[in-house]
Amino acid sequence: MLSLLRHVSAAAILMATATFAAAPAVAETWDIAKAAAPYKGTQLNVIFLDRPGYRAIIKLLPDFEKATGIKVNYEIVPYENTRQKEVLNFNGQGDLSIALVDLVWIGEFAENGWIAPIDKFQSDASITDPNLNLKGFFPLLLDAFGSWGGKVYGLPFDNYSGLLFYNKCELKAAGFDKPPATWAELKDVYAPKLTDKAKNQYGYALQSLRGETQSADSFMRVLWPQGGSLLDKTFHSNLMSKESQAGLTFRQDMMKYMPPGVVSWDHAEAVNGFAQGQVAMITEWSAFYPTLTDPKTSKIGDCLGVAPEPAGPAGRLPALGGFSLSVASGAPEKVQKAAWIFIQWATSDAIAKDYVEAGGVSGRTAIYEDPAIKAKYSFVEPMVASWQKGVPEFRPRFPAWPAISEVVAEFGSKIMLGEVSAEQGSKEIGTRMETILKKEGYYDGKKPLLQ
Amino acid sequence: MTRPSTGLAYGRWTPFWFLAPAVLALALIGLYPTLFALATSFRQYNLTRTRDGFPFVGFDNYVTVLTDPTFWQTLGRTGLFFLCVMPVEVALGLAAALLLHQTGLGMLRALARVSLVIPLATTYAVVGLLGRLIFNRDFGVANAGAAALGFGPIDWLGSPTGAFTAIAAMDVWQWTPFCALIFLSGLSMVPVEIEEAARLETGSKWALLSHVQSPYLWPGLTAMLILRSADVLKLFDSVFTMTRGGPGAATELISIYIQRVGFRVFDMGVASAQALLLLVLTIVLARLYIRFFYREID
Repeated sequence: MLSLLRHVSAAAILMATATFAAAPAVAETWDIAKAAAPYKGTQLNVIFLDRPGYRAIIKLLPDFEKATGIKVNYEIVPYENTRQKEVLNFNGQGDLSIALVDLVWIGEFAENGWIAPIDKFQSDASITDPNLNLKGFFPLLLDAFGSWGGKVYGLPFDNYSGLLFYNKCELKAAGFDKPPATWAELKDVYAPKLTDKAKNQYGYALQSLRGETQSADSFMRVLWPQGGSLLDKTFHSNLMSKESQAGLTFRQDMMKYMPPGVVSWDHAEAVNGFAQGQVAMITEWSAFYPTLTDPKTSKIGDCLGVAPEPAGPAGRLPALGGFSLSVASGAPEKVQKAAWIFIQWATSDAIAKDYVEAGGVSGRTAIYEDPAIKAKYSFVEPMVASWQKGVPEFRPRFPAWPAISEVVAEFGSKIMLGEVSAEQGSKEIGTRMETILKKEGYYDGKKPLLQ
Repeated sequence: MTRPSTGLAYGRWTPFWFLAPAVLALALIGLYPTLFALATSFRQYNLTRTRDGFPFVGFDNYVTVLTDPTFWQTLGRTGLFFLCVMPVEVALGLAAALLLHQTGLGMLRALARVSLVIPLATTYAVVGLLGRLIFNRDFGVANAGAAALGFGPIDWLGSPTGAFTAIAAMDVWQWTPFCALIFLSGLSMVPVEIEEAARLETGSKWALLSHVQSPYLWPGLTAMLILRSADVLKLFDSVFTMTRGGPGAATELISIYIQRVGFRVFDMGVASAQALLLLVLTIVLARLYIRFFYREID
């Protein structure tokens, strides 16, 4: 026993010493120019989206290129085409040196070996920022956006949380001085008072266009807060559970408070409907905050209110989405190292403030403790609150998701249109989804049940 | 005086050399991809599971396609789409061609002929984006027109019937000019003396069209049917940008379904089998059109 105690204390002292010894390294300054010197002139190729987070990093790129001599070539591609372009590029040994990874692609990209785990580079001190500090990211984001099977592959770059955007003026006129705290309150108390079809005014809009918007933004959004989910623990459909059905019924009940044709609304239409005052409340990604505060794109002005998404019986489980940047493993070694330097810079604490001020949403915790940032951006507090708790598998992140997403999108839309009932649609999705998962090998023990 | 021999004189192989570049180009951009698709259709070929290899699976992919209810539903919807748009395009195209074939109107007629090319030259994706704006429920031109006629706002893109009508209307807008131009070229082939003699014989425009002009229109109609059948079977961009195949599956045409299988699920084996079956269908349809519609001009 004494011997065991002695071993434990020795280990504790060793750990304390190691921590103490490591402490000065954290404060060490990172000379990015020196680290990048061997890679001067290297060209990096990456796909960006036409969204605020990418426009922000593009504004800051000249600083990086000037300091390092590494050139970043970006191609702006619509979201719907991004995965297709990347998969074809990786299969064809293309020129991409950095992968832009949506959280639902991480399993597919990692399992196919298209992206390299960061431990490959972290062990090389000459190219790793001593202030990299992975613990400085919101754990939910690093886990959901950048990790697969216990390994970190990418660093959170373009980060979103679902938020409730509401029109304070319309709510006040209807007798409400604060936003709804629960989904039930939104449906039963707020939406009826805020809807006046004769005046083309609606209480709420949920973007539901067929595609990822339907499957992720609409369908999954109503499942989790009610306690439902797509899959159970054995990876069979959980859509027939009481809770999942409650979520889908809730969405059908909300249809009378949503604009006609909401089934064909994408993000742009939902944000625009809210920005023009046609809709009093939307649940949208935090990334749309700059669009809603820009007088060129929004009439809402000072009436804009932002809150966390309402809670359901299962708690506050808002939509979670975002992208990480990973090193493409098919790129030459030298390019991979230069890519790692860029990824660390783009997601670093050092540029987080500039990134946020340029319109991006950093995944670092420290930046949101800055009182000036909190005061300037009203979306910060609800977003940070949303990232304290959430479900990384809000949408399953395994390779089968794109195929399942297609099925969910088709029957999710049909349920909303009333072409099939919530129950019939759920059964159909369940059957087709299980066929896909069976083919993937999840039911015969060939694959671990990771999502 | 004799011409000096250059070694480039016309010989047995001359036609071959003239044709060779075109044949080579066709082989590279047409034949090779088709043969590759044929080989792929007999393999398990998923680009997101390359670690599993590309094993030969015989006719499995074809069985998957032929027993897939969604394939048949989308094919049926595509057939319905063709049957809805083609008669309208042919009728409107013929009407426009007959108007433009009239004498007089000088400058206006020339302007109208040139403007017929504009919809044809418009990129499909742009047609889809235009359609999204035209059929917007709140600020679209279509509902402004409906309101002027006393109808309430129609939810074009949010209802299955409305969305199908909207994509059909955009197709008619884009392809009616094509039919008009083909018919116009047919009408311009009618010998002037025959047409003038017929005009002296009868004042009936219908009699003129059915007895004198129509023989010159049949070959054009056959070409139109063949080209538009192939085109509708691969119609993707405009519909995808307008509705993404929704709402529900209301506008999911066969090409959108194949794109989903090929570039969302990345199952290239099944997608190739689907594409080849459509190729066979296109060839069969072309033969049928030639058999039933094509007439030689006597």
